[in-house]
Amino acid sequence: MGRPGFVLDVDERTPPLLVHEGEGFRLERLPLGSRVIYPPDSLPAIVDLDSAIHHALLHPHGMDPLPQLLHRGMRLTVVFDDLSLPLPPMRTPDVRQRVIEQVLELAADAGVDDVELIVANSLHRRMTPAELKRAVGERVFRAFAPEHLRNHDAEDTGNLVHLGTTAHGEDVEINRRAAESDLVVYVNITLTAMSGGSKSVAVGLASYASLRHHHNVHTLRHSRSFNDPPNSAMHHSYERMADLIGGHVPVFTIETTLNNEPFPSSLRFLTRREWEWNLTDQAAYLAVKRSNDLTTTKLRRRIWQSTQAPYGVTGVHAGAPTEVHPLTLAAVHRQQLTEVEGQADVAIFGLPYICPYNVNSIMNPILVMSLGLGYFFNLYRGQPIVRQGGVAIYYHPMPHEFHPVHHPSYIDFYELLAETTDPVILETKYEKQFATDPWYIHLYRTSYAYHGVHPFYMWYWGAHAMQHLADVIFVGGNRSATARLGFRTASSLADALELARDTVGADPRISYLHAPPLVLADVR
Amino acid sequence: MSSLRDELRLLRHGRDWRGRARVPRSVQRWEHPDHGDDFPTGWARCAPAGMLRSALQRGVLKPVTWSQTRPVVYGREYLDSVRGPAIFVANHSSHLDTPLILGSLPPRITEKLAVGAAADYFFDSRVRAAVTTLLFNAFPVERRGSRRSRSLAGELVDEGWSLLLYPEGSRTVDGWLTAFKLGAAQLCAMKGVPAVPIALRGTFAAMPRGRRWPRPGRPRVTVRFGRPLHIGPEEGVPEFRTRLARAVAALWAEDELGWYGSLRAAADGALALPTSPRGVLPTTAAGQPADGRDIAPWRRIWESTRPPADDGPRRVWTD
Repeated sequence: MGRPGFVLDVDERTPPLLVHEGEGFRLERLPLGSRVIYPPDSLPAIVDLDSAIHHALLHPHGMDPLPQLLHRGMRLTVVFDDLSLPLPPMRTPDVRQRVIEQVLELAADAGVDDVELIVANSLHRRMTPAELKRAVGERVFRAFAPEHLRNHDAEDTGNLVHLGTTAHGEDVEINRRAAESDLVVYVNITLTAMSGGSKSVAVGLASYASLRHHHNVHTLRHSRSFNDPPNSAMHHSYERMADLIGGHVPVFTIETTLNNEPFPSSLRFLTRREWEWNLTDQAAYLAVKRSNDLTTTKLRRRIWQSTQAPYGVTGVHAGAPTEVHPLTLAAVHRQQLTEVEGQADVAIFGLPYICPYNVNSIMNPILVMSLGLGYFFNLYRGQPIVRQGGVAIYYHPMPHEFHPVHHPSYIDFYELLAETTDPVILETKYEKQFATDPWYIHLYRTSYAYHGVHPFYMWYWGAHAMQHLADVIFVGGNRSATARLGFRTASSLADALELARDTVGADPRISYLHAPPLVLADVR
Repeated sequence: MSSLRDELRLLRHGRDWRGRARVPRSVQRWEHPDHGDDFPTGWARCAPAGMLRSALQRGVLKPVTWSQTRPVVYGREYLDSVRGPAIFVANHSSHLDTPLILGSLPPRITEKLAVGAAADYFFDSRVRAAVTTLLFNAFPVERRGSRRSRSLAGELVDEGWSLLLYPEGSRTVDGWLTAFKLGAAQLCAMKGVPAVPIALRGTFAAMPRGRRWPRPGRPRVTVRFGRPLHIGPEEGVPEFRTRLARAVAALWAEDELGWYGSLRAAADGALALPTSPRGVLPTTAAGQPADGRDIAPWRRIWESTRPPADDGPRRVWTD
């Protein structure tokens, strides 16, 4: 039985604590009395995963067993999460491969010939053949790619179908093949509480016309947090859309949850609590840190991006999305939830090298903002870790770098930020222009580019935090890039706290979210 | 980029020579009590180890302790009635406590005495465990309730060993008495052996948590033994625990109230008894009990480190 998550009060015994900062990390001495939010210990993984998957498929929640849903002559579409999950990419065999293989074995037994596999990549970049092969495995890839194993194309108007509008007037437009199937089987990895459930099909297979109803500033500012679905306007919108989709096509979902093992054993010190580091951990820290600092940017990025997480699967639940997702959420909470008493004046976050949108890519300043003010700020349930009018301090070098193939529209969006950083103005003035730009659409469809509107969504992701926080400071951030985003930089934590002093006073209450591994703060 | 030296300094900060850091206080309650389970201590109770231990205690430990502090021992006469195993129960605020008690007890008792030591502190490394076991005849005590350690204490009593236990479970952070755990009283009830209360004063001021050596100037410390207590036929373990705590508190208060005054205060219920983890002072310098609920930490330490009353010649005639 692992230890639960807890809040550490920094005292004179507390050794310097590990803080991630992009493609690097450091030890930091936090002021005495600071609170540090730790996740629960990693849960034990399911030992016989194949049997667990088999059991889930035969004993689903709220639906008949999968074999009974499969029959000769049917149209079966298997949809799965794209490369934004999990983070870092997990060691092969990927859990998607293991689930999909079993689904296809049952389909083969039932004599199903018309099978399509579609990546639920929405407006994300297409997965490359190598990335696809890694996710689904050699056997599935060889049998179905390229004709029957495809990325979803949200700009292929001929292959989209408008299913109608919700009671709130939201357009629901999704992939035609999925909508016209006899059964959609969705294979999901729920890494954070925001994923899975209604989001899977309603977002993963949608088009811009549909996504704009929930990926906007208003909805995101009323999603508090988007990791707490019952209190997230965005998830309410997903649910309305999923209800409508469910009226057209049955969806059998298989949701999997992972434990908190994001780093291989050579980087074990990144997941161990600092006072438990033995000499091996300390030597590993020193060796990895020195060599990481001394290596070239390019090599460093390649090494970090080649990291494979030894994630273990903690749960497999299958059946109707509405019945399955509460079980999945409970499993995620069991692994990530830590109770925290009260809000802080200052929250500290160490941002790692990876976010959902820079797998095998570069984390540009806009993605840094989205990771910090979007994902990490929203790792709460109840109320934000930092109070209204408080200060957030992030660790990230925020280099002024963009991946020209993956993020072309981000480069132009970055220029817009010189004019304004207000998400509402950006949304009303420029969103449509970027979303419908033919060149961006061409790159999205034929190259490996994120959709033209994607940087806007990243900016909206932080809209709630921007409204909530009085000041945002990046320790070690590139000055010009940080200033362009409308934030401030500091060279050290002491300087950052000095800058924050004007806002929160000389003796602020400080909380440090010690992640990764992921932790969801249940702030009371 | 920071230099290697800076990096090393940061990495070594707060760690001992083995690279181990202490567990932050707020985390201790989350820790599994799984340390020290496997360290054997039986070898330390064989005759050659006992002879070596006696030599070390009398030849090194006591002379060093007595050279660095100025111990005053009261109530040793109560120990005459102790025959066979007994449970010695003391308040605990310093690493000086055990050497002082061992140095104050007669050899006939120390030769057959085992000391309960925190498994997660003294038995967390084999070197420290070996030294502690040899020098003090220590055995691991799980502070968070382990069936194994309790049974080991029971086995030792069955084998005729007396035990020295600190029912507060840990050194107090400010020298105040904190609540007694049930273990010692339960052992007395189960084995039918007496408990000998001991109160130590001045050890917190001499060498509190965090110090590795007593402060200079040979601070005065007192060791007071009380009359052995037996659990009554109708008495429950919690009641006996309270009686033990009251006895230790009364001995503790003797500095201010005198022997009889302290007995009277205990009988009248005028002493503050340690019933909460926040701690109490049975009496203050003014002779009033102090309950630690709303007292600032600095005031608690201030009171604990108050210099003892002058023990020079006392005036017996009033003007």
